Order: sequence, then structure tokens, then C-alpha cells
Amino acid sequence: MRVLPRKRPREEATGGWYPRWYWPGFALPGSLWILLLFVLPFYVVVSIAFGTVDPVFQSPLPVYEPWWWTSRYLLEEWHFVTGEFRAVELRTLAYVVLATAICLVIAYAVAYYVARFGGKRKGLFLVLLIAPFFISYLMRMLSWVELLQPNGYVNSVLTFLHITPHPINWLAGVPFTVVLGLVYGYVPYMILPLYGFLDRIDQSHLEAGRDLGANPFWTFVRVTLPLSKPAILASLVIVTLPMFGDYYTNNLLSGSPKTTMFGNLLDNAMEATGQGPEAAVLVLFLVVFLMIPMLYYMRETAKAQRNQ
Amino acid sequence: MSERVSARPPVDRPRAGPAPVASSGRTRTPLGWWRNPWRRPYVLGTVTWMYLAWSLLPVLIAIGISFSAGRSNAVWQGFSTQWWWGHPKSDPTGALFVSPELHAALIQSLRLSFLTMFIAVPIGVAFAIGISRWRGPAPAGANFLMLFSFVIPEIIIGISMFLFFTYLLKFVHLGTGAQLLSLVTYQVSYPVIIVRARMLSIGKEYEEAATDLGASPTQAVRRVLLPLLYPAILVSFVLVFADTIDDFITVRYLSGGASTEPLSVKIYNFSRGTLTPAVNAAATFLLISTLVIALLGVFLYRRITRGQRGQTKEMTGYLS
Amino acid sequence: MTRRELLKRSAAASLALPGAAAFLDACAKPGTASSSAHANGPGMGSYWPAGSPYPLARQDSPVTWKLWRDPIKPGLAPEKGATLQIYNWADYIWLKVVRQFCKAYNCKYQITTFNNMDEGLAKMRTGQLQFDAFMGVTPDILGKLITGKLLQPLNHSYIPHLASDVWETYQNPFYDQRWHYTVPYTTYTTGIGYRRDLIPDAQIRGMSNPYEIFWDTKFNGKIGIYDDYREAISMALLKNGITDLNTGNQKYINQAQKTLISLINAVNVRASINGVYIGIPKGTFDIHQSWSGDIVAAWQYTPVQNMKTWQTLGYWFPANRKGAVFNDTVTIPANAQNPVLAHHFLDWMMTYQNAMLNFTWNGYQPPQRQADPATLTTTKSYYGEPYVFPWLSDAVVHESDFHTGHFQEELTPQVDQLWHNAWQAFNSA
Repeated sequence: MRVLPRKRPREEATGGWYPRWYWPGFALPGSLWILLLFVLPFYVVVSIAFGTVDPVFQSPLPVYEPWWWTSRYLLEEWHFVTGEFRAVELRTLAYVVLATAICLVIAYAVAYYVARFGGKRKGLFLVLLIAPFFISYLMRMLSWVELLQPNGYVNSVLTFLHITPHPINWLAGVPFTVVLGLVYGYVPYMILPLYGFLDRIDQSHLEAGRDLGANPFWTFVRVTLPLSKPAILASLVIVTLPMFGDYYTNNLLSGSPKTTMFGNLLDNAMEATGQGPEAAVLVLFLVVFLMIPMLYYMRETAKAQRNQ
Repeated sequence: MSERVSARPPVDRPRAGPAPVASSGRTRTPLGWWRNPWRRPYVLGTVTWMYLAWSLLPVLIAIGISFSAGRSNAVWQGFSTQWWWGHPKSDPTGALFVSPELHAALIQSLRLSFLTMFIAVPIGVAFAIGISRWRGPAPAGANFLMLFSFVIPEIIIGISMFLFFTYLLKFVHLGTGAQLLSLVTYQVSYPVIIVRARMLSIGKEYEEAATDLGASPTQAVRRVLLPLLYPAILVSFVLVFADTIDDFITVRYLSGGASTEPLSVKIYNFSRGTLTPAVNAAATFLLISTLVIALLGVFLYRRITRGQRGQTKEMTGYLS
Repeated sequence: MTRRELLKRSAAASLALPGAAAFLDACAKPGTASSSAHANGPGMGSYWPAGSPYPLARQDSPVTWKLWRDPIKPGLAPEKGATLQIYNWADYIWLKVVRQFCKAYNCKYQITTFNNMDEGLAKMRTGQLQFDAFMGVTPDILGKLITGKLLQPLNHSYIPHLASDVWETYQNPFYDQRWHYTVPYTTYTTGIGYRRDLIPDAQIRGMSNPYEIFWDTKFNGKIGIYDDYREAISMALLKNGITDLNTGNQKYINQAQKTLISLINAVNVRASINGVYIGIPKGTFDIHQSWSGDIVAAWQYTPVQNMKTWQTLGYWFPANRKGAVFNDTVTIPANAQNPVLAHHFLDWMMTYQNAMLNFTWNGYQPPQRQADPATLTTTKSYYGEPYVFPWLSDAVVHESDFHTGHFQEELTPQVDQLWHNAWQAFNSA
């Protein structure tokens, strides 16, 4: 959960009494597992992306030897990705950026409040904040689907209070609903890492600022915010990257082509007959795209560790 | 407001509400009140409570509807437990504990979650221990892959695993085997991240002390390091269980027949077919089972940390 | 190395589907004329376009599929203590019927569901799943399934009720002459489901092109089409006056694609698979493209169970019966573990009482001789209501519809790609 960089104790000479293979031995099963079941499957994806299809089902035939690879599907999909899919990509980007921004504001406010002012109630707050982790994502989404039905409770309340004369059809491809659904689904994953970090900030820094009469807002902007940059970065990675592959939130809350996201393209291609190589190519594109923020994050944390 | 702050020497700040009771002129006007560094964080407090209501109320309503007497998932239609235990007059296929389909799905959910937990956590913990002590580029690469598998959208894991098991590793048929291998791959990074953070915070002084005192490397890990890691390991168990039992993305692509579809997948399928309050009952059941595991975790955590604090004190005392 | 050799290599290397490998062997022989490839093909039919690995079944050019292996022997006893594995669309068979079968044959059952044909095919073609009955198979994928050797030929001696109970049309269907691999499951038409309290019957029937009702902005956000590329594009073709629902004409397909996309901006259309039987009763949709069976069954899903709410369900299909019409089939996969039991199950579903019991819940009409279309709206079903409510009489399927209606039949892989691309364009618009 907490991918927070921590200061490592300065290296002392590691005792020579550990055999050379000792620590690598611990990491071996995990490393093998990841190589065999994470990296190798990707090789299959690549082999399918550069492979061909069988003539009957149009289902992919992977080509495992790189020297037989063809770039036909790659080029074909590149054409789509830079053309027909552009609207979907931009929409996905917009939704993700917007949802992440809202997530960050809510998560930071809540984490900050609980960490700084939770007081005696901190335990209760924590339990309530952790609760969404134990409730299935589907259940949380479906409960909203039912609340937002034309005859659901949200519309009953709105019409009762005369806020709207007619029930609003929230589920008919409303971008607002989808973005809010994304926020709702992912914000707990952001609150906890932020809380974990803010809780450990030494409060005397902040109180010093306040005792000197600094406006709480400026104390926050000049002291707290810069301090929590690594935590913000980590929580952004945890929330934003998975959002790019989300298809179910949109499926459940909208189902309209108006709100199709990149994940929906992937899911559709995966299920459609004869679109196997296309699905593989789209997966590759997405992985390459996500590698960029991931590598940036790794570099930043490495830098932070070196500086400490 | 926290006790710590109120225990400070008195500073000019209002105890409650915007009433300007303090002597300082800064709080007499609304602007002054706003600028007072020691006022209560009303805005933040409101945001927090509103967030909690927003995040938990819908779920409470959904749980309530699993006890509804009607077919609708949207509105409450009187109390009944027909979606849990069935009703003599209704079709018995609709209720969670009566329908053989839902019953089988429930078993599959628990089977996958427990197996994943008991495979992923030991591998992850060992990996975290190894990677924290082993220096060089190889562990850095492995660590990158671990982190990447943690943040990558799950649909990517699902698709690549589906292709992997249907084209290359064909002897692992779609079904429990394929689901389990994929779930472990996706979940193994949880214990790695949690345990690694703990490893960094405890440092290596304890093991070094132990080996200096003549413990073998195995003893140092088993008797000193592992007990220190117990809390982190427990947390990993609980989180892996909670995350696995809800998983429907990877598991859906890799399910074989209906007997290998856990409740989460059934819920997703129902959401595209017929939704009845039985689905709410199923989801509530998932929630209850994760809560049981979490409470068990909390209970064990309490016991272990109590013991551990003693041990640690004992050990540090011995060292000094 | 030529492309074909490459294909062959990779097929062999990956132990591809047996059918695919066999096909490649057949056509990789140098100098092979296409006619001899046809002789080795999976079936015989007069319509065999270039690029298709199998003949395409059309009403005027029926296909006889070859038996790629022998059917099971006659007179075998059904497997004992077996679990009948059924692969079917979601909500497409009444469990009561299956339970009765299992009681009679002392077996257990398990039903795995899919939400559209593509999804069903995606798992089937891996060859890793072992089902005894693959239900609701639309005839437009039969060529793929048989060429890929995923289905087994049927032994007619186990299925006497097809001859005795089922419509004449299906004694020798054009898509599977002498029914080597399939028995018919249900028949249906594709029309428009709507709320009668919002749109009077007379209004939609009085329109010169009733498909235009999908563009009625009054119902913005409450209009749906099926999440099924064949059905959705077919609707657009029909709206544009194209009656060949298997067209490979790029112009028509592009036109249909534009027509569909215009729906998004006009009325914020949504694609769903349960929009008729769940969505219309629930109020999520007012108008939805509708299979006749979905609207017939929809009354069971209204939140309030009374005649007044049931009367709000409406269905339109062209009065001259020139609309999309077809049937689904039941097949037995090649790797079925209980093939004898499966044969008995097929026969069970062909039997009048069982088929009608299933109709009661399912809403999809079985092609039964004794079920007179004229009396289906008055005959009481197991539930005590008519099989089809009188105001839904357009949803009753007549055997004669199979002479007037338009069929969705198998496409060549190339044309299928065109259709898929159009659908993808709609989904990413």
C-alpha cells in the first residue's frame, strides 16, 4: 500500500557470514513467479500482436519466433489509434485527469483532517476510511446504479426538494456520472497512502509556522504540501494507472458509446471474434503508455532516496 | 481538536463556533475569524464527514435492500429474508443460500481467496525479505516488475493471462488453476510492498545483533526478523483476501464452466442480466466474509504486537 | 518463405485448432484448384465465395455439412450420475425444465452463461471447456464451429420428437441440411419494443418507416439497441431500406454505420442486452430494439405485477412480416462428456410439453406444430396467463415468416471484419 520512499540506514558492511546465495534465495520464488507468469504472458501478447490469425475463426495464431513477426496488425491498429480512436483516447485522458484531480482534492482533505485533527476519534475515522477496501467494488458501484435509477432514491429526493421537476436520467451516458463513479471507486486507494504519510509528518514544523502567525493556508502551501510530494506521487500512481484500463465503471454506470473509454475498447476487442491481434496490440500500446509515468515515478523516488 | 493542541499553553483562539469570545481583535470580524490560525477546521471537517456519508451510505442502503420483499433493487418493498434463505412461494433459484448456482459460486469465491492468500503471501514476504537485503541491479529489476504488476490495469493481466493459458500453457485449463495462477501473480505485490516498507523501517540492526551473538542466518531470520514482520504479514493476508474475493476482471476472463465462476463474477453477470436483491445478498455476504477475516486479523495483530513489544524490549534490554 | 507457409508453420507450432490445421493442409498443396479444396471442405453448398473456408448457407443455396466423424452409436444408455453441462445465453432457459429433465434422467446440471454470441464463441473456441449442450447457437456461426470441429454430428435415433413435434421447415433446414449437427431451439423476430402508455400502437404502426422512432428526440436517453453487432447493424440496414442483412457491400455498411452513429447524437442511444426484459419494465428504456421473445417474457419483470402494467409493453414488427427473423439452435460440442445424455436432452427440448413449459418463462417461441399461432394469445400457460398477451400478437412467430422474413446468415471472414469494424466505429464514436 505505502510505496513511500524511506530513508535507508547507511550501509554498514554486511556481515560476511551470510552465504552469497542467501538473500537471493529468498527472492528467487517470487522472481521466478513474476518472470514465468507476468513477463512470459506478455511475450505471448507480443507474439500475438506480431502474429497472424487462423482462417476459420479469425482467432490469433501467435508467432513466437521474432524473425517471423509481421507488423500488419500493429500498423493497422496504429492507424486506428491515431485516427478513429482518438476521440476515445482523449475522452479517457480527460476523464482520468478529471477524476484523479477530484480524487486528490477529496483524499488530501480527508487524510489531512483525520491525520491532524482526528484526535480521539482517529480510530473510528480509520475504520470508516478502510471500510471501502472490504466492500466489493461491484457492490459499491451497483448500489449507486440503483440509487441513480429514474425511480431511484436520488431522483426521489431531488424531485421531492423541487430541485428538478422531472427525474434526471443519470445512467443515460452522462459523463458527470462516469467521472463521479471513477472518483467514488478509486478515492479510498488514495486516502490511505496520503493518511499514512501525513500522520507521520512532525507536527512541530507546522505548529512553529502557526505560532509565528503564519496563515494556515500558507503554512499548508509552503510546508505541508512540499513535504508530502512523494506521498502524492505514490498515490497518483496507484490510482491513475489502473483507471486507464477501467471498463466496468463505464459499463455499469452508462453503457452509452458517448462515454466509451479505452478499457471498453480493450474489453470489446477481447471478446469480438477475429479481433484477437487487435486486442493484443491495444494491450501493448497501453502498457507502453503506462510505462512512461511508471518510469518517471521510479526515477523520482530513486532521486529522493539518493538525496536523503 | 486534538488533545495535544488543547494541552498547549493558552493561545487566543475561540473554543467553539464563530462567536468572537477571545480578546484578540483578529477574531472579531468574519475575516479575522477566517484568518485565525487556531480556529477549528470546519471546512475540512465537513468535507470529511460528507465524504464518509457519500462513500458508505449507498452501501448501507444496498445491504438493506437485500432484505427487501420485492424484486426491485432500487426501492425497498417491505422486509423479508427471501433473497437469503428463499421463500416457500418464490422460485428457490433466486435465493443466495438455496440456489445451487449461487451456493457453488460462494464456495468458489472462498476457495480462490484462501488459496491465493496462502500462496501469494509467503512468496511475497520471502521476496520482500530477499530484495531488501540483496544489492545489485537484478533485484532492482525484479522490484520494478513487482511494482508494475501492482499498478497495471487489471484488464491487462486478465487479457494476457487468457492468451497465455489458451495458447502457450494449454495444459493449465481455464478454470480454477488458471484463475489461481493469475490471482497470485496480481496479488503477490501486496505483501511485497507492505513487508518491504516494514523492512526499511526496522533496519537490519536486529539481525546483525543476533548474528553477532552467534545466531545462524536461518535463526536470525526465523527468530528475529520474522517476528518483527508479523504485523505486516497479517495486514498482507487480510488485504490479499479482501482484494481477491472481490476480483471479477481477471477471474471472469479465466473462468471455465459455471462451477468456476465465483460470486463476484456472478454479480457482474447478473448486472448485465437480471438483477434481483439476491445480488445484494451475495455482495453483502462477500462483505461479511472479508469483515470476519479482517476482525480475525485485528485480533491476531493485537496478540502478536503485544507479545512482540515484550520481546523487543527483552531483546533491547539484553543488548544494552 | 511465403506468407502461407508462415501461417502453416505457426499453426503447427502452436498446435492450433485441428480444423484450422486441416484446412491449411488442404489448401497449401501447390497448384490446388479451388474446386478440389471445396471437395475437401467441411460441407457442400452452391454459394462459396472466394476467401471463405466453408460454404455459406443461404435460403436459396442450402448447405449440407459433412460428418467429420461418426455420431455416437444408437441405443446407448445415458451416462449415470452425470452432470449435464449446459452452455447458454443468460436467462435463456427455464431451470424448471432442466430440473424436470434431470429428475427423469437422474442427473445433475450446471448452466454456464454468456451475454452475446461473440463472448460464447470466444470461450468455446479455446477447446478447453467441456459442455454437453451448446444452446442458443445462431446459425450464422455454424460454419466456423463445424469447420473447427467443435461440434459433433447428431444421431437422429435419440431425437424422435424433432420429426414428430417440430415444424416442417426444420425437418431439413437450409443452414444444416438433414440436420447433421443442430436441432432448432426457438424462433424469433427482431422488431421494436416500446412503452404503449407513451407511444400509442396506432402511432408506430402509422409511421411510413417505423424504424425512425429510434430517432424520436422526445425519448432522448431512453432509447436502446442490442449490444450485438449483427442485430444493431441489421436494424440500421433495414431503416435505410436495405433488406440483405448479410451484405458485404462496403457502401451499405458504411451507410449503416453512419446511421447508427447519428443515433448517438440524436437521442443518446445505449447498447444493452437486457434492455427489453429488464430495462423497459424498470423504466430505464422507453424504446428498445427487441427480440420477440424478450418482450413476451418482459411482463414477469415489471416491478408491479398487474394487468395494467403488463399492458404498457408493446411490440412492433412489419405487418407484411418482412423484417429480421430467425431461429437459434441447440448443438452438442465435440468434447461433450455426456453425449448420450445430451442427445436425450435435445429430444426433451423438442417435445411439445417441455418446449411449451420453457416458452412460458423464456418468452421465446419454440417451433412446435401443435402450438397454433392463432391461439397462442388465448391459450393459458403454466402461469395462468396467455402465452403471449393479445396486444403483443405481433411477437408471435409464424412458420410462414420463414418465407417472407430476412435472415442473418453466415458471413465470409472478410465481410465479418467489415461488420465488426462498423460496430467498433459505433462503439468508439
